[in-house]
Amino acid sequence: MDFLNPVLNGFVVVLEPMNLLYCLIGVVIGMLIGVLPGLGPAATIAILLPLTYNVEPVTAIIMLAGIFYGAQYGGTITSVLLRLPGEASSVVTVFDGYQMAKQGKAGTALGLASIGSFIGGTASIVGLTFLAPIVASFALDFGPAEYSALALLGILLVATISNGAKTKALIAAAFGLLLATVGRDIFTGESRFTFGSLELADGIDFVPIAMGIFGLGEILYNLEERHRAAKAPSTVTNVWPSRKDLSQASGAIGRGSVLGFFLGILPGGGATIASMASYAMEKKRAKQPERFGKGAPEGVAGPETANNAAATSSFIPLLTLGIPANATMALMFGALLIQGVTPGPQLVEQDPGLFWGVVNSMYIGNILLLIMSLPLVGVFVKILRVRAAILAPVTALITLLGAYTINNSMFDVTLVVVFGIVGYLMKKFGFEPGPLVLAFVLGSLLESSLRRSLLVFGGDPTGFFSRPISATLLAVFVLVAVLPGLRSLLAKRRAATADPATTKIKETV
Amino acid sequence: MMQFPTRRAVLGAASAVTLLALTACGNVAAGSTSSANYPSGPVSLTVGQAPGGSTDLIARAISEGSAKTLGAPVPVVNKPGANGSLATKEVAGKPADGQNLLLINASLITITPLAVAKDEAVNIDDFDVIAGLSQDDYVLVASQGSGFKSIKDLTGAGRNITFGTTGVGTGSQLAQKVLFKQANVQGTDVPFDSGKPALTAVLGNQVEVTTIQLGEAMPQIQAGKIAPLLVFSEQRNSFLPDVPTAKESGFDVPVAQYRAVAAPKGTPKEVKDKLLAAFQETFKSDAYKEFNKKNMLTPKEISGEEVVTQWKDYAAKYKSLVEKYSISLSGTK
Repeated sequence: MDFLNPVLNGFVVVLEPMNLLYCLIGVVIGMLIGVLPGLGPAATIAILLPLTYNVEPVTAIIMLAGIFYGAQYGGTITSVLLRLPGEASSVVTVFDGYQMAKQGKAGTALGLASIGSFIGGTASIVGLTFLAPIVASFALDFGPAEYSALALLGILLVATISNGAKTKALIAAAFGLLLATVGRDIFTGESRFTFGSLELADGIDFVPIAMGIFGLGEILYNLEERHRAAKAPSTVTNVWPSRKDLSQASGAIGRGSVLGFFLGILPGGGATIASMASYAMEKKRAKQPERFGKGAPEGVAGPETANNAAATSSFIPLLTLGIPANATMALMFGALLIQGVTPGPQLVEQDPGLFWGVVNSMYIGNILLLIMSLPLVGVFVKILRVRAAILAPVTALITLLGAYTINNSMFDVTLVVVFGIVGYLMKKFGFEPGPLVLAFVLGSLLESSLRRSLLVFGGDPTGFFSRPISATLLAVFVLVAVLPGLRSLLAKRRAATADPATTKIKETV
Repeated sequence: MMQFPTRRAVLGAASAVTLLALTACGNVAAGSTSSANYPSGPVSLTVGQAPGGSTDLIARAISEGSAKTLGAPVPVVNKPGANGSLATKEVAGKPADGQNLLLINASLITITPLAVAKDEAVNIDDFDVIAGLSQDDYVLVASQGSGFKSIKDLTGAGRNITFGTTGVGTGSQLAQKVLFKQANVQGTDVPFDSGKPALTAVLGNQVEVTTIQLGEAMPQIQAGKIAPLLVFSEQRNSFLPDVPTAKESGFDVPVAQYRAVAAPKGTPKEVKDKLLAAFQETFKSDAYKEFNKKNMLTPKEISGEEVVTQWKDYAAKYKSLVEKYSISLSGTK
């Protein structure tokens, strides 16, 4: 039971009043921005990054994590009541959630979603609690070779799994890789793409890129969209779902927890994909699939459970390996770096207070959300009435001020503006910013780890296969890269063999 | 709900006001020539490294101690970039009125110029050094997998040895490159981003040895996870009295990290005296002494003139060492 000690100490960390307060602030902000369409958790975290600068690292990450999973709750509310998904991860909730609301079962839908979210989130934290020490026990076996393999696999998964057009994702990722090469080569001291500027000597900092693309870019993009005036919400009653609804949804909640947990761990996965996969799965499993889209409780419970489970489990690769699985985690990575904490396998050992403090704060955060989300529904819906003309300039100002305060540098502010325009244009032309940012983070990791491992191996690339962890990761890489091609090949062959059979049947007939 | 934008706005506005206050003070002070009423506002201490590192911690210890004596706040301003060149160039361009100080690392003057382009190098003559602070020693440590227990094991291994460094143009790199040449041992230089990852690589047997700062290595040395082979200081380190110096082991490569506080060139003498007095008051305080001890820093509280002479001597020595053994700090040769 030795390993439970640091876990319990983590609770001591969370229960410090300051940390509890920031946890509460985090989940409330998360719910708020979850309600607001457009402004997502990634943008919010990007904007608030500099404000966490003077706070203790644990406290800062507790708050930022709260924003992330809090947004999963908030997004549901508008999906159900107004048919207006606040978050991408709540889009599928609209199908059945809004139908339920129309049938006067808005309370049931929200109740199911909250209970599902709570169970999914908690299940993921339990998974994280047991998985992290296992990964950490391999911590010192993770050398440059393992990181190269991991980064390679990460970049591949980001490019293949991400939603949206594949080619555009690849282009964005390539741009991210290019940006990662800027700065002084850490192996030779040679300047690359710095154009003689000392400001660029250390490369482009991750934070201004994220603040520009996710923060300013989103704000600019949202200005284009007219805010629909929100109607007063239908009265929400009967929040506690009936026994029948619960039994109908319990299977979906269980499956959503497992599905979300695994999709969240996967690089390139995350809450949105998890919710969509869960909806598809529930519809496929249902005895009467025609009920879906007409107010099926499973259609709300499954995806809402899965998105919260995924939001939580995506912390696993970040906190245990130092590999961000999605764009929001990349921001979390940036936040940790600002605090002087390098996430990786050593984190659990070296900074158990931070690690378990953050993990355990999620239990508390989920309980807070469960308690708050239902009574506050009415309040949150009113937020939709805030005019973009007020919200946008205020957030833009905070973003720019914040960018300055991190390094006291006007150059960073310029970077934020430039990347804000880049982010805006990317959104406008249908490029997802996620692959760019992830490739940027993983690109520099890949380059330095690869060169470092080749130095250690004396230039012999077969060294990657002589180490068990890197060999396994590379095998997975090959599998993921080859699988889609193989599958389509098999499908073709099957079609080819099926053809003569059908003709034969025709003949006999 | 309107509370939220307002709350954020308040925070934002607060930081804006602080910033304005900071910059404004710098400008106002630039106009005044009388050094009698120095300091005329906050005295900013710029650090070319990110918060949390040893340089930053030293700056904060100094700032805390001297603010009381100076009667003005001494905010630490982190401006990381290009090993600290960015911060150095910025402070060099500020008015010489003592309102803007710099905490400078010796390696920036003595070693970095050997690795980077000429126009990126920093010149100590652009500054009036107020006082030297402390010495941060480098220790050569070996992994368990290497089996090295003393420097003899390393020099007698008779094979290529991988050594981790804390980056290009750092004391860690220079010290090891010269040592390997002088010992006539084949080595592969594996640069890491800083001391922490280099230490992790030794702990995980990814590289066989590395040279990092004592404060970083000490917990693992005490835990018996890594073996200290030698220190690169000229005298034995008081925190590690049983470990020989490079000199005792027959190598002529004295390397340590030194730190000093400097002001832009041409700062009035009265201002410099006031600052020096404030720093000396700090040096005497128990809190500062305790800070040095905790971080395994050896006090080296010498005068500004001595700092300049010593650093220039080291710069010249390293230059000749590098030329003698035809070592290039950039590239892999």
